[in-house]
This record gives sequence, C-alpha cells and structure tokens, in this order.
Amino acid sequence: MYKHPYLRAYLAGIAIPTVVLLVIMTGYTIIRYVYNFPIPIERVIVFPMAAVPNTWGLWNVLYVAFLEKRHVPLGLFGGVLPLLLAPSGYAVTRLLNFTVPDEVFHVVPFALPIGVIIYYLVWKYFVGFLNAELGIA
Amino acid sequence: MSDREMEEMKKLLKDTLPPVGDAELGHDLWPAMAQRLADRPLRVPWWDWVLLVGAAATILFFPGVIPALLYQL
Repeated sequence: MYKHPYLRAYLAGIAIPTVVLLVIMTGYTIIRYVYNFPIPIERVIVFPMAAVPNTWGLWNVLYVAFLEKRHVPLGLFGGVLPLLLAPSGYAVTRLLNFTVPDEVFHVVPFALPIGVIIYYLVWKYFVGFLNAELGIA
Repeated sequence: MSDREMEEMKKLLKDTLPPVGDAELGHDLWPAMAQRLADRPLRVPWWDWVLLVGAAATILFFPGVIPALLYQL
C-alpha cells in the first residue's frame, strides 16, 4: 500500500475533476443536443476533458514531491491552479478561433477569485481527504 | 504451440503464482473503517465557511460568472 506515492498522488489528483467533468459534460450534452443550445464547444472540449484532470494529477504529484514536506498548505497550492488553467483555457480558445462572448470577459475579474476560492476549498477538503486515504499526506 | 509446450507453460505459471490459500476475510473490515473515520472528525474553520458562502452567493446572485468559471475547469 505504501509503494509508489507519486502514482497514488496522481490518481488522487485526477479523481475530482474526472467526476465533475463527467457531470458537467452530461448536462452540457443534454442541453446542447436535446434543447439545441447554440454554442458548439465541442471544438475546445479537448482542453477540459484531457488536460485539466491530468494537470490536477500532476499538480498533486508536485505537491507530494516537493511541498508537503515543507508544510505548504494543500488548499493554497491548489488555489494557485486556476491562475494557470484560466489563461490556458483562453489560449486554447484563441488558437482554435473559438468565439467567446464579450460578456464572459467582463466578469473575469469576479469569476477568477471565485474560481480560486472553489479550488482552494476543493483541494483542501476533497483532494486532501483522498491524499490522506491513500496514505500520501 | 505444441501440447508439450502448453503443459510446460501451465507448469511454469503454477510455479510462479503461489496458491492463494484461504481467500476468505478473517473478520469484518467495516468496524475498523468506521473507527478510522471517527478518529478524524472534519473541522472546518470559520473563514472557510465565509469563503464557501461568499462563493455560493456570488454564483447564485450573479450567474453570469458561470461561463467565466468554466475557463478554470
């Protein structure tokens, strides 16, 4: 059980976004194809579906490898992640010429702190719980 | 693969994998799990409640932030 701590850290990291994205994508698919919602995000969906869970996993590996021994709070470390993911998401939409309504950008100054808070809480309580259960923190 | 080679392969596999023996659980695992959960009560400090309520209220009263939040997923 106490072998391969980085593998367990990776698995603990990807668990939450994998489940959350499944719920979100199920809801989106219903709205998009049942109610004909007119925003075709299929073109950019590869980013949240593939990159984000892996980023969470690698972020947790980084934490276990370098920061846990220095007693850096997991919640604070997880709260930094949106500051990387939000610009990455923006870059993907620009690279794929995906048009984002201007209203979305107008609320970014409010949404980014909310995202940081959500990430802080999720990492502190949920990822922290999984890390403890898997014996890595 | 000939029959002889198959038999040799089976023998090698049997030699390599030890017999499982008694696979039944010796006792109920749930009491230990319940004890483990009880030993670690979840303590949520007041500032985390403030953050949670603030974030939930912002999303509730300003649902326009939701599309921007999706960028961070």
